[in-house]
Amino acid sequence: MPSWPILTAERHRQLAFGWLFICLMLVAALFWLLPRSQINSSVLALLPKQQLQGVPDDLSRGFSQRLDRQLMWLVSPPAGQGSEAALEWLTMLRQLPALRQVEGPMDTQHQQQWGEFFFQHRNALLDDATRHRLQNSAQAQSQWILGQMYSAFAGVSGKELASDPLLLVRGSQLAQQQSSGGMILDNGWLTARDKQGRSWYLIHAELNASSYDITSSKQIVASLNGLEQSFRQRFPGAEVLQRGTLFYSNYASQQAEHDISTLGLTSVAGVFLLILLVFRSVLPLLLSLLSIAIGALTGTVFTLAIFGEIHVMTLVLSTSIIGISADYTLYFLTERRVHGGQSSPLESLKKLFPALSMALLTTVAAYLMLLIAPFPGLQQLAVFAAFGLSAACFTVMCWYPLLAKNLPVGPAPGLALFRSWLNAWQHGRVLRMGLPLIVVGLILAGFSQLKINDDIGDLQALPKDLQQQERQIAALTGQTNDQKWLVVYGKNAEQTLQRLEALRPKLQQAKARGVLDGYRLINLPSQKQQQEDLNLLRQRAPEVLSQLAQAGVTLKPADLSPQWVTPPAWLESVVSQGWRLLWLSLPDGRTATLIPVSGVHDSAAMSELAAKAEGVGWIDRKTEFSQLFSQYRVMLSLLLTLAVTLIAGVYLWRFRLPHGLVCLVPTLLSLGMGIAALAFSGHSLNLFSLLALILVLGIGINYTLFFTNPRGTPTTSMLAIFMAVVTTQLTFGMLVFSSTQAISSFGIVLSAGIFTAFLLSPLTLPASKSGSAS
Amino acid sequence: MIRTVIFLLSLFSLSAQAVTLPELQQRFSQQPVLRADFSQQRTISGMSLPLNSSGNLLIARKKGLWWQQEKPFPLTLLLTENRMVQTMAGQPPQVVTADSNPQMFQFSALLTALFQADQQALEHNFALNFSDKGQGAWQLILTPKTAPLNRLFRTITLNGQEYLNLIDIKDMQGDETHIRFFNQRTEPAALTDAELAHFDR
Repeated sequence: MPSWPILTAERHRQLAFGWLFICLMLVAALFWLLPRSQINSSVLALLPKQQLQGVPDDLSRGFSQRLDRQLMWLVSPPAGQGSEAALEWLTMLRQLPALRQVEGPMDTQHQQQWGEFFFQHRNALLDDATRHRLQNSAQAQSQWILGQMYSAFAGVSGKELASDPLLLVRGSQLAQQQSSGGMILDNGWLTARDKQGRSWYLIHAELNASSYDITSSKQIVASLNGLEQSFRQRFPGAEVLQRGTLFYSNYASQQAEHDISTLGLTSVAGVFLLILLVFRSVLPLLLSLLSIAIGALTGTVFTLAIFGEIHVMTLVLSTSIIGISADYTLYFLTERRVHGGQSSPLESLKKLFPALSMALLTTVAAYLMLLIAPFPGLQQLAVFAAFGLSAACFTVMCWYPLLAKNLPVGPAPGLALFRSWLNAWQHGRVLRMGLPLIVVGLILAGFSQLKINDDIGDLQALPKDLQQQERQIAALTGQTNDQKWLVVYGKNAEQTLQRLEALRPKLQQAKARGVLDGYRLINLPSQKQQQEDLNLLRQRAPEVLSQLAQAGVTLKPADLSPQWVTPPAWLESVVSQGWRLLWLSLPDGRTATLIPVSGVHDSAAMSELAAKAEGVGWIDRKTEFSQLFSQYRVMLSLLLTLAVTLIAGVYLWRFRLPHGLVCLVPTLLSLGMGIAALAFSGHSLNLFSLLALILVLGIGINYTLFFTNPRGTPTTSMLAIFMAVVTTQLTFGMLVFSSTQAISSFGIVLSAGIFTAFLLSPLTLPASKSGSAS
Repeated sequence: MIRTVIFLLSLFSLSAQAVTLPELQQRFSQQPVLRADFSQQRTISGMSLPLNSSGNLLIARKKGLWWQQEKPFPLTLLLTENRMVQTMAGQPPQVVTADSNPQMFQFSALLTALFQADQQALEHNFALNFSDKGQGAWQLILTPKTAPLNRLFRTITLNGQEYLNLIDIKDMQGDETHIRFFNQRTEPAALTDAELAHFDR
């Protein structure tokens, strides 16, 4: 291959047409794929899809999709006003076509239906306290009934006693109130009151579309903001708090959009400016644009074909590939500009082929290493980069020898400068020894203040006002949004419910032990429980009534017919309102229920509790992800060490001692400097920093390769490397300014590391051979 | 000494003027401790005999309400600023806190509001009709205006003079409750240790 006797001009022409054909196919593929794909902007979608402790995938996916659609508002009217403001907000929301099931106050009819359902199924819907009393003794229940009857404010009426002598409905309603979690029912509204005495009215709604859908979520948030403005004008002093995945994902996608448009444009503009400055011709500009475009096309097509979607984060990070894919064009065009007079385009290609292909291989290999990390966003980036960069490089190889024929030939600017820079490296001990030592000093200083942080929460820098609202809502409703749940699942509804009932006492114990502050269970008993309760009622009822009669209260015997509640009936009834969300049944019968928990103090104990119970999974995304982050951070560190060792081996084998070791210096120091820069900028080390280091290794090593390429001319290499570094800095450097912290710290490591690799790369030139640099 | 004179003067001027609700509230709130006995009669439609009960109660400012039914069976209700504890023989105490069950708690807190003629708290839930019955006697009729109170009670009527003497509760279902208070006393103005223990438990 290296000598390429077979690559004639004719062959190359065929190759060019072949590549054109492939490119056209790719365009066709893009048009076919685009309507079938979607852009994903969910922050959570960037995170690993983990198997949730045996919770069937369909069930956990079903739940997360459903939860992502939920929206809630807390509306506080202006001081001194009642619920009119909340009612107005509700009316406004109901007019939005993007929302469905906008629910505010429970009207009288609903409240009646609610009471009726409990009445009709009172023998089946026993509350815990009543069950305990009955299990304890008939005496306990009859005493409780008497207590209620004598209480002036309990409002036990003759009608109630006649229809429900055991006061079962009363018992279950009291229990319901007990689990209301800090909310008060006020004229049908669920309300909360804050410390200043302001009332907050709760409104709930569901999104019609998935909240991941970027365009629609943007529209919905915009129209909601518009509504809020006119609402605030009508009710000055009123307050609205909102919660929902929609707001977070919209924020994230807007950030990303902002990043793509500004950072991407700046990168492209910078790269173009550089090309114009160096070549003083428009042709290289167009050629770079062409290879970037084909790279982007190929990357998009393969990403969409493999993943069926592309994540916004991938798009942001992909802008960084612009710089690298321009490098190939620039390397080739620099060669043509400097040596175009002496050699044919095809000869230039043959001369550069080893360096180009080596550079492509190392970079692609580095990107492909990102596939190891289980992060969908990074995996997409890896695929995008691997295919995109290859296509950009193929474009250079196949087309540019033909397209660059008319490139004006002439000395590249700044050659003299590069020559003296290289001479200084080769002859001056000051530079050869001094600069690396300074870098070592900086690295040591940086490492001394390096912090490691695997907490995923620190990566999602949420806007202050959303965080503030979140805290307020959590304080008012007692429901935190910390993504912690227990999932109980089973083959069918009955099994799920029985497992839930088995879990209940364990949860009570855990709460008593202080493992968690609270939890909410759906109020649907299993068939088995209903049967047991009915037996209990039939056993105790006569005794309870005779004890009441002894106390002077003679009541009609209770109706003790079975009043079964089936899951479908429960779902259709008004009593499941607000609970339906927590119940999911698949067409094949598999069913799960979600238990939202709050104030978890010991995630490990919860995990243990779930592991010991059958059909129960503990979901704590944040803690799990943080553990995963640290695991992969350690794993990548080992991988990186392995890669460096491998490279050291190759260098030693190729260049022998001591030069082999000298060649390793820029690589090692660039890695160190990337981390040190991270520490200096106040960020802490995490998984993303290590992923960036892998790219530093893969890209930085190119510079060494260009210099150590025996066929290359050091000054031309220097120019090509210089341009490559500038383009890389223009793109990766831009990531530093990303408003997403994870991307920004990624950018810092990359740009500092690559700059160091560039700065120290002349070290790999053999010191002894002098004056040969031209 | 001087304080007693002023107090007596104010009492005198009180009876000379027409009674108003704010004034009543002011007066009630000045009593650090009030002890009284009560007898209650509840008439439930469809039941031949009324339910009679009796006992005593204690209201301590800043502490809460201690309601102790002695007959026909012991039952105590403790109501403080943030929790309600109902105790019956042979059963675990039923504790309701403002945080765990604000609905129920709000309801019970009304009871304290009634005894203290707390206009603000009452006005939130009721339409108030206060009338001066002459010679320092007054009547306050409360008509619930918010759910769920308006589905439970038709009216709650308070009658009193120097103290609250009578509560008449008319339920929506036609049931009635009369609670009569007697033997009211504001001295001793300090709680005994045993009484304190109820509240601080």
